[in-house]
Amino acid sequence: MKKFALYKLAISNLRRKMVRSILLLLLATIVSGTLLGATIFITGMKNALNIGTYRLGADVLVVPSENEAQARSALLAGKPTSFYMNSSVLEKIKEVEGVEIASPQLFIEPSSFTCCYSVDLFLIAIDPVTDFTVRPWLKNNQHQSLQGNQIIAGRSLPIMTESVIPFFGTLFTVVGTMEPTGMNFFDQSIFMTMDAAYAMAENSITKSMQPLKLEKGIISAVMVKTDGVINPDRVATRIMYALDGVKAIASDEVISTVRKQLSGLLTGIMTVSMVLWAMALFMIGFAFYMIVNERQRELGMLRAMGAKRQHIFLLIVFEAVIITFSGGLAGLGVGFGMLFALQEKIQQSLQLPYILPPPAVVRELVAASLIFSICTGLLSSLIPASLASRLEPYEAIRKGE
Amino acid sequence: MIQTINLCKSYRISGQVIKAADRVNISISTGELVAIIGHSGSGKTTLLSLLGGLTKPDSGQVLIEDLNLWSMNDSRLAQLRNKRFGFIYQFASLIPTLTALENLYLPTAFGKGYDDLKNRAMDLLQKVGMNDKADFYPSQLSGGQQRRVSIARAFINNPEIILADEPTGDLDEETEAEIIDLFKTMNQERGTTFIIVTHNKSIAQQAQRNFSMRDGDLQEN
Repeated sequence: MKKFALYKLAISNLRRKMVRSILLLLLATIVSGTLLGATIFITGMKNALNIGTYRLGADVLVVPSENEAQARSALLAGKPTSFYMNSSVLEKIKEVEGVEIASPQLFIEPSSFTCCYSVDLFLIAIDPVTDFTVRPWLKNNQHQSLQGNQIIAGRSLPIMTESVIPFFGTLFTVVGTMEPTGMNFFDQSIFMTMDAAYAMAENSITKSMQPLKLEKGIISAVMVKTDGVINPDRVATRIMYALDGVKAIASDEVISTVRKQLSGLLTGIMTVSMVLWAMALFMIGFAFYMIVNERQRELGMLRAMGAKRQHIFLLIVFEAVIITFSGGLAGLGVGFGMLFALQEKIQQSLQLPYILPPPAVVRELVAASLIFSICTGLLSSLIPASLASRLEPYEAIRKGE
Repeated sequence: MIQTINLCKSYRISGQVIKAADRVNISISTGELVAIIGHSGSGKTTLLSLLGGLTKPDSGQVLIEDLNLWSMNDSRLAQLRNKRFGFIYQFASLIPTLTALENLYLPTAFGKGYDDLKNRAMDLLQKVGMNDKADFYPSQLSGGQQRRVSIARAFINNPEIILADEPTGDLDEETEAEIIDLFKTMNQERGTTFIIVTHNKSIAQQAQRNFSMRDGDLQEN
């Protein structure tokens, strides 16, 4: 060692008042962790929304007009529901100008689930021939047309491929699982064919304690893919003009509703985070103002030893940055911990889709969080460090007596 | 040589002007050991701080080898303090979370440093009889031992001038005698100039020259 490093003195100073240093570190940890957790969560929701918009597949969703709210709730939050309309609407929808594909879906809300799972699952019957919404979510090697009593499970369900599960007294075999979508509508659903659903309902009369009342030929919704020439909003309007008793919802409209919710949430979270950060900035700054006051004599002595103004400035800044950077590092653990512990509950209460951002984005957010924590230390110590550096050595030594 | 010309410094306390240095003229040659004696509030500590460039005079000059301290900017003045001055205080001046050896290293944080820093520091600790306590923290040392370490620290940059403010103020007679002997040894071996501020007449009598200070007025005895 050729000379004593200033940062060692900064670390030594922090060790001197260990309780105060730990409290400041905790504050920096909480702020940093909250900001990181909130940022990753918001990014995750945006990510899910972007993927969802792209992969939802259907440009227009047609449901019974009196069940619009339930349909939105099912689509956005995956809330199990059941409502029905006659399948004759399907042929009429296919005839509307601008409709390229129309595929029916039947929603069944299980009243009993004989297995051990407590999750809210949703049974959705599809037409494998015309379906275009589930297919994109299937891994290539698992892709196959459903037949008989075969089902596909959403990613959030703790169900293994090839396992056999009973619904309403009928046994079904899991032939595939979907990729994670971030939307409960897909992630917590079981998909089967329409024929299997009708057969299950018929069997339930004799085989199930709670029979499923489902008439053959009824459906819950029609997923519509437009031809790309006519705007989905206009296609939706045309469908409602052509058919009585149905509500056609353009998916853009659904997504824009989520975006509005997300925008409000984002503003709220960011406001709270910024207030929290400003308070931390003030508290750390005030703590260092007191530290400078109580260490005046020592700072004067350092000036007498030959410390320049910038040495004193750097010493105080180092101390603050060591605290906030360490808090930033600890905040990574707190942030991810909070995220994984609470994400499901928050997601459920907000009823918004969520997917963890890709690793590259998470890495960027982590780096940004650490840079932010360094900036917090710099900013909070700016005034105390500046005051400390301007002390006249003799005055500082005298005042400290 | 360190010299002052008509050095003045005053304070305003409760509306009253207190003269801490009143046209002080003093000239101290290199290698001298001088003492400044006076009662509390006579202005001796202020004079020491003026000589060491720690506070700016209201008027007058402090010259080190004909170089006016206050003609320099703050950065150069700090460099000069680092290289040419060593300060010893009456109060505990060691950093409590640094060992004795690390406390000796401290002034090097503001200078160029030395390739043989550890040897240099250990030699100084040996000189003050503290080499076996290099890794001790100040709380593990007695008041006299702490003072010895702070004296050794003042020498780490091999300064030309040592400014000591009541260096034995709170020590027992035996330790006081040891510290003064140490000053004399350093003065003779290294040719270091010592300016010691004290209210202890017996210390003043051991100096080569001594001065009295009263209400900011300095007179050679």
